[in-house]
Amino acid sequence: MNDAVENKFILSHLWVAFGAFILACFMGVYQVLERSGFIEALTSPSVYFASVSTHGVLMAFVLTTFFIMGFGYYVASTSLKIPIWNKPLAWTGFSIALGGTVLAAIPLLIGKASVLYTFYPPLLAHVSFYIGATLLVVGSWFWCAIMVVMFYQWKKANPNQPVPLAMFATTANALLWLWTSAGVALEVLFQLIPLALGWMDTIDPGLARTLFAWTLHPIVYFWLIPAYTAFYVFVPKQAGGFLFSDEMARVAFIILVVFGLPIGFHHLYMDPEQASGWKLLHAFGTFVVSFPTLITGFTVIASLEIAGRLRGGKGLFGWIGTLPWTNPMTLSVILSLLMLIFGGFGGLVNASYAMNAMIHNTAWVPGHFHLIFGGTTIIMYFAIAYYFWPILTRKPLFSDSLALIQLWTWFIGMAIMTTPWHVLGLLGQPRRISSVAYNSLLTLSWDPYEFVMIFGGFVLLGSACLFIYNLAKTQLSSASAEFVQQVEYAEPIHAVESLPEYLNDFKLWNKVIAVLMFISFGVPILQFFFMDTFGSSGWGY
Amino acid sequence: MNQLSEEERKRILESAPVGTWVLLLTVGATMVVAWLFLYYGVFLPRGGIQ
Repeated sequence: MNDAVENKFILSHLWVAFGAFILACFMGVYQVLERSGFIEALTSPSVYFASVSTHGVLMAFVLTTFFIMGFGYYVASTSLKIPIWNKPLAWTGFSIALGGTVLAAIPLLIGKASVLYTFYPPLLAHVSFYIGATLLVVGSWFWCAIMVVMFYQWKKANPNQPVPLAMFATTANALLWLWTSAGVALEVLFQLIPLALGWMDTIDPGLARTLFAWTLHPIVYFWLIPAYTAFYVFVPKQAGGFLFSDEMARVAFIILVVFGLPIGFHHLYMDPEQASGWKLLHAFGTFVVSFPTLITGFTVIASLEIAGRLRGGKGLFGWIGTLPWTNPMTLSVILSLLMLIFGGFGGLVNASYAMNAMIHNTAWVPGHFHLIFGGTTIIMYFAIAYYFWPILTRKPLFSDSLALIQLWTWFIGMAIMTTPWHVLGLLGQPRRISSVAYNSLLTLSWDPYEFVMIFGGFVLLGSACLFIYNLAKTQLSSASAEFVQQVEYAEPIHAVESLPEYLNDFKLWNKVIAVLMFISFGVPILQFFFMDTFGSSGWGY
Repeated sequence: MNQLSEEERKRILESAPVGTWVLLLTVGATMVVAWLFLYYGVFLPRGGIQ
């Protein structure tokens, strides 16, 4: 169903995403070097914070948003077998998001928006940063609207038919993003932009942090859902088997969306503006979200087990060895799940209300989210890119072996970089600081770990360069008229003929989300309008 | 790809994923032990904030 114009449109999204990614990788290596204090010439807090803010925005907002939009458009048109609805609107969304990215990048790169990607006030950036970030989000809302329209167009044309799983997951992600981005949109529109423009003298950081917490955790699932989607709809087929259960996948996505939203206060355990009871409520919700991950782990590994046994694997674990380890998608899912185990464990520690005090605002936290985001999620973005590139460009991948080397080095580099990062957190090294060179006995004991992290950072940068090189060489190679590759979606073991409406639509779940969000965020937000709080003037710009 | 008879193929598709269960239970148990170690072995011995 995909024509050349649609392919170009999707590739445009993916190139913006990966362009941001490679730029951010170079910054990451600078940051790990600067922060170690080993090279005095590099030491500069102002450059460090400009870099770390840009790195965070490029990775967490630009790479993800553009990748997810491109991925979603492709999945929608190929799984539903209909063209992308309203292409001019889709291009408008892309242009707005890209324009916003450029607008935000300017103050970031000249050090006028060194507020980190969480931009917690009273840190204040130049107003163009906030306007740019808002436009990026607004552009992505066009994508959300198009996904929802295509979902219902297909349902109308195919009454009582199960929506293809890939599109069900993608629409779930679009709805999740609409819900979750509302929090940061409120913060930026009613607090940060007015403050940056001088329309307000002070800002209430407590309210701002509460609104950002609305966004901050479910945004992780927005990033993760394309990876989970690939787990379910591409991996079983690529491994030579079948999806263990289509219904279980839908249940996982629904729980992820419904319970992934009202849990953001585990980022605020140490904050004074919210009472302990609300934090505890969000803590319970956070643990509930481990269920869809367990369901996903089970369903995907069971699918791999079936594939391995169909390929001749015997015994309890003999199927692991017979899996096609040289298939990039299969290799990626194995490495991704391995990183999910360790990253997920770190997440359980973060979510534990008491134990969080031990690692809160320490190096443990970036170690954790690099493992989950940079590891589990991004390695699947690589796998999807390797799978899509030959289809979208109509040219064979430049080098399969290079792709395998890249995936392995990414995994190894991530393990080398994040393991000492976690240890440093347990040793008490704070995060969000530009330098650790205090020359006390405590900080000197951190040096070996810093050294290992630098090595890991360089391995990751090399891997990232290999990735871009492989994609670019593929795209720039001469076209072959006879090369045609089609996307293949995995079939479930038991074909799904019909589904109850609650597994095939989101109307009920939107109502449940509304209720849960009101319970979890209603009083915590409204309280700011009924009690005296003290504003802070902005600083940092 | 291994050549399987239709009967073997059907048996595999209908069999319980025992390896997956064992793998996940092992990972789950290890995570519980690791969490307990961090809680009782690292977190509590640090004591209250001085």
